[in-house]
Amino acid sequence: MNRVAALLGVAFGFGLGAARLNDYDVIHDMLLLREPEVFLLMASAMAVALPVLWLLERGAWHTPGGGLMRLSRSNIERKHIFGSAVFGGGWAITGACPGTALAMPAAGVALGLPVIAGVLAGQILRESIAKVRPIAPRRRRA
Amino acid sequence: MLPAFPDRVPWYVVGPLMGIVVVLVYALLNKRLGVSGSYTQARMFVLGRSVAEPWRIWFLVGIVGGATLTTVLRGGFVVGTDYGALGRFLPLGLVVPTLFIGGALIGFGTRWAEGCTSGHGLAGIPSRSPASFASAATFFATAVGVTFFVHVVTGGAL
Repeated sequence: MNRVAALLGVAFGFGLGAARLNDYDVIHDMLLLREPEVFLLMASAMAVALPVLWLLERGAWHTPGGGLMRLSRSNIERKHIFGSAVFGGGWAITGACPGTALAMPAAGVALGLPVIAGVLAGQILRESIAKVRPIAPRRRRA
Repeated sequence: MLPAFPDRVPWYVVGPLMGIVVVLVYALLNKRLGVSGSYTQARMFVLGRSVAEPWRIWFLVGIVGGATLTTVLRGGFVVGTDYGALGRFLPLGLVVPTLFIGGALIGFGTRWAEGCTSGHGLAGIPSRSPASFASAATFFATAVGVTFFVHVVTGGAL
């Protein structure tokens, strides 16, 4: 399972690097709506995954581990909106998201490291606040 | 001699590849692909706490490996402090704290929303999860809004 995960990670990271999603200018131009490349990339990924997952779910696909494949679904809660708004701000400032930040140092972009350090610090901050004042039930997902 | 690895592999190659990865993570591991969760698991590992989903750490290691492979195919590493237009706009002494703070917003927000561009976007939307539709709409709208704000405030430099 871990070896499979590593191989799938390699494919995912290869895609990030191949499309240069680990480049501030590429993401910044996308968010300035200057070029459609990255939107098309994400849309085509979803367009491939959505029908296949739907078919697998309908066909009651059993994963090699033995379990019935279950798509992770949840209802909209406040945390999704507030959290994603905060994330969107960070995405705009850095031109990076958690995945592409990992692919930055891999391309020699040393300044990906402060982004990664920030992500870890932000997660810890969020967890410490959540401990003090539980805004929403804590579940491990993502 | 192999043809040179393209500077930017087009979306219609990389997009479907990523879609297939999303499908395989579900079909083989029965999990929703997502990178922000990998950070959490890696943190637990480093702190010596119990790791609930070790596969996510392997996935993270794979991402770094796969991205490194593209760098190697393009002719190898040149480590530098370039950061595109942002790096040209701000001196290095300001870029680093800016990126750290921006990164903290990413970490705080994705931990709160329980997903990022990959978890709620690439994987969550094909899962037809209402929370992911709402999250993706929110982070796209906010990111575009903040980017345009930065664009105006910096007089078009960014």
